[in-house]
Amino acid sequence: MERLKHWVTENPDLSFAILLAVSVYSFFAITEPLFFTHRTGFAIMERFAVLGLVGLALTLCIIAGEIDLSIGSNAALAAVITVRFTDSLGAVNALLIALAISTTIGIIQGYFIAYLRIRAIVLTVGTLMLLRGVALFAAEEKTVMLTDFRIPDFITTKMFVYLSPASILVVIMFVLVGLFMTYTRYGREIYAIGGARKEALASGISLQRPMIIVFAISGFCAGLGGVIIGLRSGTAQALGLQHLLLAGTVAAFIGGVSILGGKGGVIGAAIGTLTVNFLNTGLVFNVTPAFMVQMYLGVLLLVVIMFQTGSRVFEDSQRRSQLLQDVDRRRRILADKIAQVRRSPG
Amino acid sequence: MSDTAAVSPSAPNLIQRIRRDYSPLVIVMVSLFLTVLLAGAVFTDDFLTWFNVKTIIRDAALVGIMAIGLTFVTLSGNFFLLSMKEIAALSIICFATLMGAEWNQWGPADGDPATSALVATFLIAFLVTMVIASIAGAVQGALIGLGGNPIVVTLGAAGLFFGIGSWWSDNLVVSYRRPHGAEWLGTGSFIGDIPNITVAFILIAIVAELVLRYTTFGRQVYLVGANRAAGRATGHENFGMAIKCCIIASVCAAFVAVAFSGQVSSAHVNYFSSEFGSSGDMTIMVIAIVMVGGNSIMGGYGSTLRTSLGAIFISTVDNMMVLNGFNSGARVLAVGLMIVFSIIVFALVRRGSRAVE
Repeated sequence: MERLKHWVTENPDLSFAILLAVSVYSFFAITEPLFFTHRTGFAIMERFAVLGLVGLALTLCIIAGEIDLSIGSNAALAAVITVRFTDSLGAVNALLIALAISTTIGIIQGYFIAYLRIRAIVLTVGTLMLLRGVALFAAEEKTVMLTDFRIPDFITTKMFVYLSPASILVVIMFVLVGLFMTYTRYGREIYAIGGARKEALASGISLQRPMIIVFAISGFCAGLGGVIIGLRSGTAQALGLQHLLLAGTVAAFIGGVSILGGKGGVIGAAIGTLTVNFLNTGLVFNVTPAFMVQMYLGVLLLVVIMFQTGSRVFEDSQRRSQLLQDVDRRRRILADKIAQVRRSPG
Repeated sequence: MSDTAAVSPSAPNLIQRIRRDYSPLVIVMVSLFLTVLLAGAVFTDDFLTWFNVKTIIRDAALVGIMAIGLTFVTLSGNFFLLSMKEIAALSIICFATLMGAEWNQWGPADGDPATSALVATFLIAFLVTMVIASIAGAVQGALIGLGGNPIVVTLGAAGLFFGIGSWWSDNLVVSYRRPHGAEWLGTGSFIGDIPNITVAFILIAIVAELVLRYTTFGRQVYLVGANRAAGRATGHENFGMAIKCCIIASVCAAFVAVAFSGQVSSAHVNYFSSEFGSSGDMTIMVIAIVMVGGNSIMGGYGSTLRTSLGAIFISTVDNMMVLNGFNSGARVLAVGLMIVFSIIVFALVRRGSRAVE
């Protein structure tokens, strides 16, 4: 009990995320009789496979103090490439090609961001449009479709009650990235350039390596998400998947990242994504139209941002008033001393 | 050292200045680009005709007006609003609903209503739309001004506004009957054969440029954008500035929504998402215009004149590609390449001219 209390005070963001996830889940579990079943659990994990990847990618980017807006376009490109070439090259080859392209795009983005020293939003809003054009080009402005539906069937096979090949892959990805971020030097460099970039650069960390790693992982995750969506549904659209950005950002922020960077982690990303999935799936039970789900997500994001910004403003004002008090106190002490010196003879 | 100064007392001419200020890479890239554009203009059939020039400017007008509004936000150092098309979607639903509302019909129930009745209907719908758009802008501006990240705030607000618009219209097409007062703005023309929307674009561009150059407000925008700390020290907090700029951007988006609704006599929340232009997404198109025009995304540098020229430039390239028979994929690709190109060029120019952080 004592240790739990200690852990909660040590990790306020993570415990808030867990609290939110548990309360959303229990709300729907109590109001909807079908929610608390194995099948719904499987459905939630299936959604987790895609959204989790996007949430993970955005979490890493925000930890590094940047944000990758091109994630939806990158995913759409990967989906189009996989679906288009599955018939001619086989699913595995098409998948590998798509992942290689997505990762390369990420690496190029990271390199340019570090080399030109621009903010990632500036570049990624450009690549958002560029990649959409490439995807339209690759799909020849059509909706591409699979003809062989054994692959979608394989990807959604049920294993171990809750999991499928796709979600197992994603869980493995989460574990790997989590280990990478916590236990390697490169992972800690990413935290460093996010939390205190000037200090990190001054202490000799190059901007290039962490940036390239972050955007490579982000591109890979986006590509994998796109591949999973494309192969699972058997179709892909070049202009689709743009809603992923909002849902992924909500997941990342619930998971406890700070817009200033350097905070948050992979566990938070997982919990944030699960919360969003609970909400999504629960709203589906209530026959909520898709645009209303988007609206709830938007409101959720605004609330989280308001909470974060409010606490930051509050802390700033606290620190400021503390500083002013300190200055006043010291000035008083100084004035007293001066008065003493003046009063003393000689 | 003093002889060298004495030997070359003449001021550097334009070519020397360009060679001094920009790296060779930038010069080569820009001139290559201009060459391609010029060659395209000369070798494309029917490109250099008065009719086509009118078409280009009319195509640029709608996105251009929105981009001019967004320029204020960008210049004040608040990046950009990712909710431009959602504000427009909310506004177009609001406008169309009010145009078709029973209580808002001022003429006789049957037969053609008088012009004054049409104008009254239009004005009421227009003003209410503007008020609602201003509220939407002010909410976002307040959140941004309090210190929220503009990208994340407007991403959330985009979902919110789109949801409100869909919920209001039940995700259906809202249409209203002809004739109506918005036709004049959408498709009419009162100066010869120049469409009114083109005239509106030019007027808004001129007014915005004058406001930015010659009014106190315009200078405050530049100050807050260029150096936020200096702005705060001189009493110009970003809070008020963000609210004002977001309201300007939202009102411009609402104006575009009204004009577009006047063209098609109906409204749907997806008008600005899928069916508009070649890009498929109006927000990104508007941001593209601001960037291609050469405004600094970090704020404090740029002008609405650049934005207007950027709009006309993108529209020109798009037009040229349409005339040469390119599909939408290639056109979106071209706009994307233009954005990335301008980002890289301006980043290189900045690196050359100023010490890196």
